[in-house]
Amino acid sequence: MREFITGNEAVVRGALRAKCDFFAGYPITPASSILTGFVRVFHAGGGIAVETEDEIAAIGQCIGAVMSGARALTASSGPGLSLYSETIGLAQMGEVPLVIVNCQRMGPATGGATATGEGDVLFARHVTSGGYPLPVLAATDAGSAYRLTYLAFNLAERLRTPVIVLTSKDIALTRQTVDLDAIELAPLERRLATAPDRPFAPYAINAPADVPAFAPIGGQTRVRFTGSIHDENAVLTIDPARIERKLTHLRRKIDDAADSLEDTEPDLDPLAETLILSYGSADGAARVAVAMLRESGAAVSRLTLYSLWPIPTRAIRAALTSRVRRIVMPELNIGLYCDAVRHITGPLPIMSVLRYDGGLIAPQTIVARVRSCDGDAAACSALSPVEGSSCRC
Amino acid sequence: MTTQAMPMTAHPDPLLRPGNTNCAGCGMSLGLHWIDEILGSERPYLVIPACCGIVTAGAYPTSAYGVPTAAATFASAASYATGIATVAALNNEHHPVICWTGDGGTYDIGLATLSAAAERNEDILYICYDNEIYGNTGGQRSSATPEGVVTTTTPRGKGERKKNMMAIMAAHRVPYAATLSVAHREDFLRKVRTALSTKGFRFLLMLSPCPTGWKSEPDQSVELIRAAVGCGIFPVFEVFDGDRYVINVPRDGTPIEDYVEKQRRYSGLAADPSRLRAQIDDQWRMLERMIHSGRPHV
Repeated sequence: MREFITGNEAVVRGALRAKCDFFAGYPITPASSILTGFVRVFHAGGGIAVETEDEIAAIGQCIGAVMSGARALTASSGPGLSLYSETIGLAQMGEVPLVIVNCQRMGPATGGATATGEGDVLFARHVTSGGYPLPVLAATDAGSAYRLTYLAFNLAERLRTPVIVLTSKDIALTRQTVDLDAIELAPLERRLATAPDRPFAPYAINAPADVPAFAPIGGQTRVRFTGSIHDENAVLTIDPARIERKLTHLRRKIDDAADSLEDTEPDLDPLAETLILSYGSADGAARVAVAMLRESGAAVSRLTLYSLWPIPTRAIRAALTSRVRRIVMPELNIGLYCDAVRHITGPLPIMSVLRYDGGLIAPQTIVARVRSCDGDAAACSALSPVEGSSCRC
Repeated sequence: MTTQAMPMTAHPDPLLRPGNTNCAGCGMSLGLHWIDEILGSERPYLVIPACCGIVTAGAYPTSAYGVPTAAATFASAASYATGIATVAALNNEHHPVICWTGDGGTYDIGLATLSAAAERNEDILYICYDNEIYGNTGGQRSSATPEGVVTTTTPRGKGERKKNMMAIMAAHRVPYAATLSVAHREDFLRKVRTALSTKGFRFLLMLSPCPTGWKSEPDQSVELIRAAVGCGIFPVFEVFDGDRYVINVPRDGTPIEDYVEKQRRYSGLAADPSRLRAQIDDQWRMLERMIHSGRPHV
């Protein structure tokens, strides 16, 4: 059935489809309607929705709920993600499957509370101390917000890790027509449980990339949990070998799964000289720009990135077909992800199309950028001062 | 300085400029005008966290505050103000530093920094305009929301009673804490004057009518607060040094219905008049205990 829903409503629906039964959050624009959406749904039962006193409490409640067996989600915007920071580290160290939705807005700080921006694409990856990886997904519209929220629960459970789903103000609050039932979803994944007749160690693994089995706090098994560096029994350790084993595990369980975490949509033309690399709310403009360019006879490719971290290296390399001479990359920030992919794309020039004044990038701006690269001086001068100055060759 | 001698615009740039974006009937507007009367020519520094009051600051050229205004993060108003007040004291400057905050930033997310600033007795005047709801983000419950009130996150009515913020502040033994009623002008002005002339941490709690969140008529705002004071749901009192309590306006037997029936937010399961009356009596019993057990006010 086709529905007319916002990205925030799609997040709630995706989470419910993934059997999410616990939500805690704190009011913040543009994420508040995820909180009120869960309150409405769980009002009649089937789960718990809590409005907390701040974001630190929201994510704390989620961790407590997950460790007691729930499937939990919290949602906020940049200022709230900032307050989640320490506790996301706790979720990493404690290996807590948890989904965090960040409805980005213009930042830093209060920034533009009602203005769009996608400046958290590096922050999401480096959101907590230590530098250990966590998967980050980025929606482009309401449909992908639904699919990726569902997917995030699967990744969180499979890898026992916090997973961040990025949307942004225009995705979160704009209504779009979408048929959620037509969106293909993988089977629901449940966290690995220890057989009741086997001895339980909360972080027991055989190989570094293994994911430890889970037992809930409060069940038959005594479960320990700590944010301190610990051994497989969750006992604090100062033994260098055990410390290295734990931290290598935190890295390897994500990095070794990188190929399976790639989530992209290629639209490639083998004759293309230009590859448009897009993610987030700039993707809609990129799609229209590709159609406009092809209509005028240009050969151009597009790759939409739904997974940002780990960087979908294989898909990006595959999109760099033999004739590609340049990459054009629209971003609603100061060119953050462009810098992240540069080591994959090598010497190929990346032309950024940037906007960070609270507005959206127009397809025509991307088209002008592509044409300016082909030596069309008129197209280049048609770019606005902001767009022009932020184009980097 | 007498209040009678101080016209509303004693200085060219008022604390709250006309043409601002406050909703009609918002308690903030009256509160700021009255505070401005007492400030006279004295110009404060305002520190405001995320709340409706920072929307009032507006975008150029409609910025509505006529004084230096710092927009802090949601949790940090009291700590930001502490930094300003500390450096101002070092520089021998004597501008009042005023935190102007909503209930979310006071009762909930800002409580840790507020408590710490009060405990250290920082030289700050902290004013909470309490509209009992997260007005700026679309009307979610806060811990200042009364029991029985329907908000976007309490569709059946809030199940918990309002947090007693005055008791919390009194427990910090701050030099001065008082509640403000926009229906009792002389009492309001006197308390702002007392607060401004007191050194150390001062806390003022103003029940701020919010026609948007309370689902009331804008022209009824002052009358609603008069009814709130009369029925006793909002006691008007002050506390000196945490243990000398003074009731400024006794409750007068106004029926609770006069207050709740003019607002469509009191529609939850627990918004029963007899239940509310019992809570009010309970609240007044506690206040009277504090009056009798505290040191006499001199």
